[in-house]
Amino acid sequence: MAMMVCRVDRLGTREVRVIEIRAEMVANVWKVVVAEGDTIGDGDTLVILESMKMEIPVLAESAGTLSRLAVAEGDVVQEGDLIAVIE
Amino acid sequence: MKAGRGKGLAAGLRATVTGEVGEADTAIALGSGDVPVLGTPRLLALAEAACVAAVAPQLSAGQTTVGTAASLEHKRPSALGAAIEVEAELTEIDGRVLRFVFIAYGPGTGEEAVIGAGTVERVLVDRNRFLARAGIVPGG
Repeated sequence: MAMMVCRVDRLGTREVRVIEIRAEMVANVWKVVVAEGDTIGDGDTLVILESMKMEIPVLAESAGTLSRLAVAEGDVVQEGDLIAVIE
Repeated sequence: MKAGRGKGLAAGLRATVTGEVGEADTAIALGSGDVPVLGTPRLLALAEAACVAAVAPQLSAGQTTVGTAASLEHKRPSALGAAIEVEAELTEIDGRVLRFVFIAYGPGTGEEAVIGAGTVERVLVDRNRFLARAGIVPGG
């Protein structure tokens, strides 16, 4: 239940695959499960959103390191808002 | 974590609830109006009760449904003492979202008996996790 934007950044001679995870809907951030710097596995839950009384887990669809967490518990995200970045 | 779909949930599940308009059911008592007839909020409550009853036997342990949306036409007044019957049917399952239609009958026959109709949307949730999110300790 999250949009993913994947791009490749060049850091010196190294290419880093950057995956942005964005909200697909307006929702409340109920729980943040991970922290910046965490090693993320494919399928790990990053945050749990709440919308229309339902819990909506936001899952990583690729493994990596969580380089940025853009939301906190209690935040309201709009469609397209950045939730997290995995490198 | 996620409330999975109940095993026996399928479109076509139905239930009926019945009642009689009492003093506590009037628009005056409910604060939704100033006339002593069945209040619209009470009609919606009956409709939701029918929806709940339609799917309850098919839910897994720990699951429940909670209301998220409704539309309702309240077409005819029902006086104190009138017998009311509300039928609900599950018409669509979209992931965890359950959509129902309902029709409400009062005294009379045929189209004259129809006092209201509408749709209800409820979602499947894990009861304890839902209560926890609402700040309520389950069983507390």
